[in-house]
Amino acid sequence: MSFSTFVTDKAGLQKFYEAIMASQETYAPVEKFGKFDFKRVSALAECDPESPIAKTMSIKPLFFPRTAKVMKFVATSAGTDVSEVDEDPLAVKRVILGVKHCDARSLQVLDKVYNWDYIDTDYQNRRQNTVIISTRCDKADTHCFCTSLDYDVENLDAMDILVVHGTDGKEYIKARTEKGNELLSSDVTRHASPVTEEITAPVLKSQYASFAASFRLKMNYKEVNEKLSKIFDTPEFENVSGNCVSCNTCAFVCPTCHCFKISDEKIKDTGVRYKSYDSCNNGYFTLMAGGHNPRPAKYRRWRQRAMHKFVYYKERFGENLCVGCGKCTISCPVNISIFEVVNQVSAAAMQE
Amino acid sequence: MNYTKQIQDIASQLFAEGKIDVFVGYRLNGFDDNQVPVLIKDPQDVHKLVFTDKSVFNLVNYLKTDHTRRKRVGLVVKGCDSRSLNLMLTENQVKRENIYVVGICCEGVTDDAGQKMQNCVDCMVPDAVVSDELLGTASGADTLTYKMNADVAALSNIPLTERAAYFEEVFENCIRCNACRHSCPLCYCAKCCIDQETATLYNGANTTSAAFHALMTWSLHLAGRCVDCRNCEKACPSHLPLHLLHKQNESVIFENFQEHLAGVIPEDRGAFYKYSLKDPDDFIM
Amino acid sequence: MEKLLIPMICKVDKVIQETPDIRTYRLKFREEGMMDTFTYLPGQFVEFSLLGSGECTFCIASSATRKGYFDCSIKKAGVVTADIHSSLEEGDEVGIRGPFGNWFPLEDIKGKNLLFVGGGIGLAPLRSLIQYCIDNRGDYKDFTILYGARTSSDMCYKDEIKEWQDNPSLKVVLTIDRPEDTWTSNVGVVPKILEEVVKPVIENTKVITCGPPIMIKYTIQSLLKLGFADKDIITTLEMKMQCGLGKCGRCNIGSTYVCKDGPVFTNEQLKSLPDEF
Repeated sequence: MSFSTFVTDKAGLQKFYEAIMASQETYAPVEKFGKFDFKRVSALAECDPESPIAKTMSIKPLFFPRTAKVMKFVATSAGTDVSEVDEDPLAVKRVILGVKHCDARSLQVLDKVYNWDYIDTDYQNRRQNTVIISTRCDKADTHCFCTSLDYDVENLDAMDILVVHGTDGKEYIKARTEKGNELLSSDVTRHASPVTEEITAPVLKSQYASFAASFRLKMNYKEVNEKLSKIFDTPEFENVSGNCVSCNTCAFVCPTCHCFKISDEKIKDTGVRYKSYDSCNNGYFTLMAGGHNPRPAKYRRWRQRAMHKFVYYKERFGENLCVGCGKCTISCPVNISIFEVVNQVSAAAMQE
Repeated sequence: MNYTKQIQDIASQLFAEGKIDVFVGYRLNGFDDNQVPVLIKDPQDVHKLVFTDKSVFNLVNYLKTDHTRRKRVGLVVKGCDSRSLNLMLTENQVKRENIYVVGICCEGVTDDAGQKMQNCVDCMVPDAVVSDELLGTASGADTLTYKMNADVAALSNIPLTERAAYFEEVFENCIRCNACRHSCPLCYCAKCCIDQETATLYNGANTTSAAFHALMTWSLHLAGRCVDCRNCEKACPSHLPLHLLHKQNESVIFENFQEHLAGVIPEDRGAFYKYSLKDPDDFIM
Repeated sequence: MEKLLIPMICKVDKVIQETPDIRTYRLKFREEGMMDTFTYLPGQFVEFSLLGSGECTFCIASSATRKGYFDCSIKKAGVVTADIHSSLEEGDEVGIRGPFGNWFPLEDIKGKNLLFVGGGIGLAPLRSLIQYCIDNRGDYKDFTILYGARTSSDMCYKDEIKEWQDNPSLKVVLTIDRPEDTWTSNVGVVPKILEEVVKPVIENTKVITCGPPIMIKYTIQSLLKLGFADKDIITTLEMKMQCGLGKCGRCNIGSTYVCKDGPVFTNEQLKSLPDEF
């Protein structure tokens, strides 16, 4: 099936975004304290669909909220009762603008874990009701390495609509899924004109070529997967994790980290149970009530993180649990780069 | 400001004399001029050490990790870092004889954009107050004049409701990762009341009220102790202006507790540890 | 996900103080008929919530062959379990999610000699299988239970152990770590008694063991020394869990989710896992 593509100019693209905001519930990067986070917007002036990748939080919280209410409960001596929380505000029909490719891709990775065995219906609902409009970057950031990972960035189908700033100065809006096609066939594209595949293909290709050429970081993920899988006991993990301060921010900003914890908040007889983010770098992550902790040392937790990203998840679900967005490295107070760590550890393994 | 050569020489000599097990300093990240803290255990790696105006992170943080605990450590400290080290010593977290301190008379460090960091503009104690060896020229200032932080001053001039609205926005954007607490050199408690897992007062939920309680509690535990190194702000993924809380506390304490400034005087146990009849109580919240 | 995390309500039917720090809670679903649809197999676990305090993972300590209730034996160890001990009494209500996880390989152990080796609270998951096997006694050959605790008062299920001792088709060996005046049975740690007193038949025998991590470690060493094959040693792992649904990532050991692929593993499987449990 072929999906429609439109071409327009800069002003036309803005009008396209505005038309979407006028007709749909829209989320886009909004700046606060110099950092962009995806929030509900109603006008283009409030947000920046072209927010710099280094300053933009991931879209993960729109599917897997930082804190979700699991249920409400009443617990008194007379009895206990639980009830579902009100309507999920994230499950309504909505559009997300200004999503980076790596972020869009992260959802495909997360789909695997949420759709195996017990199906996470809340996540599913949020996914199904969302149209993702992703803008392809023109230039890689210092810590980006998405093109080095196991997905085809050029032909990624994780977004419903792809926006590319063509090398010819025009803006291309391309549907990538049925959902995206449907949205484009409405009047949101009235300031753009349809264009054929023959014309778009070479422009997109040349844009991709210049984008792909801008990467500082490149690696062979297959080699990394393979080497890491064999070197569980290497002392190198102790060296690379030495300057980590276990602040956990890497896990909180990561678009693919999905570990969570469950906690209760009770005031008098009523309370709420929450599900919120957690990180394997926390010392207490695996600490059991009796005091036994399988990962007491920092390097063990770091190893878990690196191995989960590049070995364990791959073994289990066939994907790297990393999309190469560099958010962890940018957020790290001591600039530890996961790219550097996995490459350094696997290189050290070669020498052994 | 460049003490790369001197620090490398000092570290080499310390290793040669067998005085230290590990040297904590900075190295280049390998692709631009930004730096990464490094723990050197092998004397052969000493050449990696650098020190310039990009040596931002407060290394005293590493004194609370397994890599340095019960070891003899060489450590580079700037003015603010040395104050936090002073507090670590006063609070019996580390033993002075286990640490060889290379103090810097700091001329201020710069952020990613190359601008002098705000805390360096406000800096009142640029020279390391505790050291075995002091590099650079001491600023020579004897009397301490309090430099009010411009943001705090500006904020205290706006109406209370607007101020409340501003802070509500701050707490709303907190994602409760607790990176601020973990990157703080003085948050050495193994269990903290704001940690999600051990939380007895606040659960781990990321709600505005939980963030408010956690950050306020945290900043009050650091009142009279915070040395304004801004490790917490560097770690905050939401870029929250956490210094507003700390600097506000600092200015109140300076004014009300006999010009107390955290960690400047060795053995000074801090504002909240001592009682004086002269302390007014009219500022208490 | 959020909906999967909502527990069902159970009523505490009975509280049995097993030892100073272990209590067994006998639970029944509040809703009529729920008990009949709640099917589980020995080795599975539930998520037990004391609403307001939090959720904990406990194995089911009884067998579904005993109808109308299920048991959870809870040792006072952390914050939530301390709350459970101090506040949860007969007639109170708790939240239960489950059953989760895999179960003991019931097909594999059919027609075999069974040797149960338990220590302390580790008898709880074994009890589920022991009850199941007693109720299907004809399916198994020799039946030996070795149970150790620190002191005689730290032994769980004292009444039930008496029943087992009185049952002529079971062999029960008890031990405590240090001698006591009134104690007439064995004294010594479990692996020692296993080698010196039980002296199990290796041929056609399956060993099911559970206890504190250190006991499991040395028991497995003894079993291997005695000549047992890795695949004949079955244990159940303790691991921090929260969701029980293979999502929260807490129980990961390598690419294994203990809550889905476990908690029951043979020693052969354990050997292939990274050493992080």
